[in-house]
Amino acid sequence: MVTKSEEEQLNRLEAQVDNAGGGAWEYLCLVRKLKVRRPDKVLKHGLAILNDSKKRSALGTEEWTLCEQVAVAAMDCQSLDVAKDCIKVLRKRFPDSKRVGRLEGMLLEAKGLWAEAEKAYSSFLEDNPFDQVIHKRRVALAKAQGNITTAIECLNKYLDTFMADHDAWRELAEIYVSLQMYKQAAFCYEELILSQPTNPLHHLAYADVLYTIGGLENLQAAKKYYASTINLTGGKNRRALFGVCLCTSAIGQLSKGRNKEDKDSPELQSLAVAALEKDYKQRAPGKLPLLTSALKSLRVSS
Amino acid sequence: MAGHDESETSGRKESEEIDVPIFSAENMQSNMKVIYYSRTFMSIIGGVIAGILGFTGLTGFVIYFLVMAITSIGLIAKTGFSIHSYFIGWSQIILDGFLGGLMSFVLFWTFAYDIVHIF
Amino acid sequence: MAEDLVLDTAIRDWVLIPLSVVMVLIGVLRYFVSKLMRSAQIPDAKLVKEGQVIVRARNLRAAANFIPPKSFRARRLYYSNEENGLLYVPKGQAPNAQAQMFSDPNMAMDMMKKNLSMIIPQTLTFAWVNFFFSGFVAAKIPFPLTQRFRAMLQNGIDLSTVDVSYVSSRSWYFLNLFGLRGLFSIILGEENATDDTQRMMQMTGFGFDPTKSLGAEKDGLDIVQHDWTMPKFERRAEAVLRKLVR
Repeated sequence: MVTKSEEEQLNRLEAQVDNAGGGAWEYLCLVRKLKVRRPDKVLKHGLAILNDSKKRSALGTEEWTLCEQVAVAAMDCQSLDVAKDCIKVLRKRFPDSKRVGRLEGMLLEAKGLWAEAEKAYSSFLEDNPFDQVIHKRRVALAKAQGNITTAIECLNKYLDTFMADHDAWRELAEIYVSLQMYKQAAFCYEELILSQPTNPLHHLAYADVLYTIGGLENLQAAKKYYASTINLTGGKNRRALFGVCLCTSAIGQLSKGRNKEDKDSPELQSLAVAALEKDYKQRAPGKLPLLTSALKSLRVSS
Repeated sequence: MAGHDESETSGRKESEEIDVPIFSAENMQSNMKVIYYSRTFMSIIGGVIAGILGFTGLTGFVIYFLVMAITSIGLIAKTGFSIHSYFIGWSQIILDGFLGGLMSFVLFWTFAYDIVHIF
Repeated sequence: MAEDLVLDTAIRDWVLIPLSVVMVLIGVLRYFVSKLMRSAQIPDAKLVKEGQVIVRARNLRAAANFIPPKSFRARRLYYSNEENGLLYVPKGQAPNAQAQMFSDPNMAMDMMKKNLSMIIPQTLTFAWVNFFFSGFVAAKIPFPLTQRFRAMLQNGIDLSTVDVSYVSSRSWYFLNLFGLRGLFSIILGEENATDDTQRMMQMTGFGFDPTKSLGAEKDGLDIVQHDWTMPKFERRAEAVLRKLVR
């Protein structure tokens, strides 16, 4: 994950590079290190370095790393000619590299030649069934074609072996949510919470899924996870605040008839409302009436 | 004691000040790394200084303890005197890397002492 | 303490400093050589999976209190049931690590490489030091030692009247060997593999046995007391919000 200070540094460097202040190489290195996706900038500045023979030779062996980076960025920007040139240069330098082969597969993908890309990837997997990147490319390939079920299948197969890869779990969770398979998604989010218990985004997403599934038990759990999100973010997350309000009202509706359970934290909702109102007052006073009316409708129902 | 500050930069906020301890293993590890790094660094610096000043015998070891104590205090000050948000306990910040630095200290102490005082 | 001996400055210039410099350089060189020799082998499917299972189970154990009780129970069953749990290793089926090692020449080869990269430079430097720099006092350690250390630190000198803190070049070599580790970890980064003593320890243990750690993980998981923290979080969130609103 990119921390705040790292992002600041990145943005500062980006501004500096954009204003021709130098430091393009440092910027590209940072982009690579943080694994952020800014293909347009990478393409522009990386290509500038690659086209300048003096700068290029100054890089030494890093030249090839840059070539790869630019190639991927070019594919992202759909400037396939650039990507092709880069890959050609790399292929000339490393005639039997798998890493270049992977790039070629990605180029096929970018051109939309799905079948060929698939074929290339499967042949790589035969050589080395533990190439995580290729596995992920295959999932992306299936997803790009709209074959969501195939993507799920691939991901499940991948996770069967690499079950500690939380990025894959997140991808799977998002796919399940998009297919409205909330039970499965909930499982994936639980897995994510287990691997990164301090990441509030996982708690939030899990709460969302639980709320969507519905039912008294799930709603109560959802509320708790919203509460933990509030806890982890220091109350800065508005979605979690709204979530608490929604959950409380929904729980109130469900348990109205029975009323056997005393509310374990009656104050939470009112506090969340207060926090929301304060936040809106500070940042968007114009929207305050909207908020109050929305919240009122919730409170009336509860 | 130059280099004191730069050797202990990347201490990171670990978890909230709460009764259930939540630690992210990654940050924990990086904090431990910082401890080891600063201890080794300080023991080398301390060894060179002790050697140049010509301390022998027990005095030298006293210097080592002193240097380690200073490092511990520096680290604690760096955490803003709230150790529990960065480390599991007091012993970690005070004792870890204590013996590991000793050999480095002795080496550099001997080295500096011999060069300055014996020859 | 006996009165100070005066050592020739040539000893400093041609023994003490060169020896240290050479040892630092050898350490750096070894780091890069071992980096080069690290062979990119295709890992064994079972080993990869077991490693991942262990990581995941460890996550579960560490963060168990963050998921609802029902989910936790389901997962625990998934890991450690007696029929097909991921962590369950049937008795008698655990492969012998030693046998496995001999059946896989690649692994033995790797081990050899690692050990060679450690032993060869060490023997060479030791022989070099012994051959060139023996028979005289090379350094004085600044703290007194008992007579017991004489045989170790002063071999090749054979003078019983010299204070024990005067040591031969061989002792200086050993001091370097252990003391430079800290320096290496600073200049080469944490991941350098020059920790000799640890390596020695591993050599006797001969690799690790994944099935054993699977079993250990299972035992650990079995005794975890699940205590859902979320209800507590609710109250804590209240406190956070109260602070915020105020």
